[in-house]
Amino acid sequence: MLEVHEIRKDFGGLRALDSVSLTVPAGQIVGLIGPNGSGKSTLLSVIAGMQPPTAGRILFDGEDITHAAPDTIFQLGLARGFQDPSLFFQMTVLDNVMLPVKRQRGEHPWYAPWRRFWNRQEMDNAVRAGDRLAQVKLHTQFDRRASDLSGGQMKLLEIARCTMGSPKLILLDEPTAGVAPALAYDIFRQIETLRQETGTTFLIVEHRLDLLFDFVDSVYVMHMGNVLAHGKPAEIETNLDVREVYFGD
Amino acid sequence: MNIDLFATLIALLTFFGIAALMAISLNLEYGVAGIPNFGQALFVSIGAYTTGVTYTRLLPLLAGQEAINPCGATLAPALQLRSEIMRTMPAVGLGNFVLTLLIAAVIGGVVGYAVSYIILRLKQEWYLALVLLVGGETVRIFVRGYQPIVCANNGISGIAGPFAWVGNTQTASILFALLVLAFAGAAYWYSEKLARSPYGRLLKAVRENEQVARSLGKNVARIRAQVMLIGSAIAAISGVLFALNIGFVSTNDYVVTLTLDVWVMVVLGGLGNNRGALLGALLITLMDRATAITAIQLNRLGTDIEFNYFRYILFGVILLLMLRYRPRGLLPETRFTTPAHQYLARSQETGDARSP
Repeated sequence: MLEVHEIRKDFGGLRALDSVSLTVPAGQIVGLIGPNGSGKSTLLSVIAGMQPPTAGRILFDGEDITHAAPDTIFQLGLARGFQDPSLFFQMTVLDNVMLPVKRQRGEHPWYAPWRRFWNRQEMDNAVRAGDRLAQVKLHTQFDRRASDLSGGQMKLLEIARCTMGSPKLILLDEPTAGVAPALAYDIFRQIETLRQETGTTFLIVEHRLDLLFDFVDSVYVMHMGNVLAHGKPAEIETNLDVREVYFGD
Repeated sequence: MNIDLFATLIALLTFFGIAALMAISLNLEYGVAGIPNFGQALFVSIGAYTTGVTYTRLLPLLAGQEAINPCGATLAPALQLRSEIMRTMPAVGLGNFVLTLLIAAVIGGVVGYAVSYIILRLKQEWYLALVLLVGGETVRIFVRGYQPIVCANNGISGIAGPFAWVGNTQTASILFALLVLAFAGAAYWYSEKLARSPYGRLLKAVRENEQVARSLGKNVARIRAQVMLIGSAIAAISGVLFALNIGFVSTNDYVVTLTLDVWVMVVLGGLGNNRGALLGALLITLMDRATAITAIQLNRLGTDIEFNYFRYILFGVILLLMLRYRPRGLLPETRFTTPAHQYLARSQETGDARSP
């Protein structure tokens, strides 16, 4: 699904990523962990096209997306969530999830004033959005401003929003950051449900390792811009190198 | 002093309609889509200069006559020729009017579209405000010094409205006022429909967070270009109507203060609210006329005060007070909802979005 080949990213004299390679197979949930500053978020930004890599190659579904623009990458089926909830806070919950739907006929200035061109599509999308919101238990709050939601609800809304574009792969950056433990578990259960129901693949950066290890198929560990280890959660937990840099053992 | 109340009302309505077009255009660009267009004077002037050119060069050709250079020694015969055509050949006059609108809208739209791509090269979109502010003034100074467009700093006078053939001046003014209001109404209808459609949702998303909109598959550069195309075309049309209303094209009318007037209208009325734009246009038009009339009265009474300049002080004070106490304007943007909200509410009540 996603193949990252020897990606390097320099910010001036600082090397944030140094020849990072990883593979995310279709239908899996893959974790990406590492101490702060190890390059996890930078890697997600580079994959999603927000920052161009200095060197290396990224293939998504067999297509080279190394230098593609973020909107093109999303259109190809790769969605991205942000570390801080990046919702449209002034807009309603429903408008937030309606936005990513692809090929909306009403999103054209010539057709937009005439409702008959897009009415049916908008209805169908609204019903679909309602179902997605119901999955994350936000359906009763669809007409509230996104800024009125709690931190955990914002994270859930962001995941629901990602899925409205029918992506094949979703990159999530700390989906449970700042979220109460009970809701954090809920968020991962939602991710698991989505994977089972829609076959969506996930690459997740997360600091709550206990939670992450319960749900992922494999884990990549990053350290100082490099991949330090890769394996199943049980292998990573016992890997001495990982314990040294990550757990300080 | 005798004031013909009816004529004043007609004049007011015409000025209001033209101001409303400018305000709706800026509200679409900045209020809804978040593009700080400080080049309103430029886009309005494109319409006015187009009018100057078509009414002196195209009009005679449409009437089957040879165009006369409207500047310099042939100024008088050229003026006589176009007045004659407008008075006696309604079809040619109206045809020229329609063509002028089309040409102005196309030029305005294309310039707006091209300008929007400057944003891509700028670090911050607010730099666009500066680029347009300076760009507008540069174009104005060029036109003022370049004879072939509108006779340089002399301007072009005697541009009759599209209803000059009616004969009765008051009837012609009423018809023109109605026409201007119809254009303002159409622009209001269009931008109101746009704002309440999925396209409006898209524009507000781009306004709030461009990066996130891009990460959700939206081509922000293209969306901004579309908005600038539409907004600039509307502004250029208002420029045509502005020139026809005063019957004169002069570069002195399209200075930076025009841009500021339109900004005051939108900030006063309420950013992102088309009704606010209309209210702002109405209030500023009224204040504009009131200060102009007061200035004349004061001058007649022998007062030394040049009251016309108080207008600018007044507008500045209004802008400051609004930004301090009501930054969202008199009619703030409503959290209006796209039809999706009604469908979802209905589907949650009845289990079917399509039930009546």
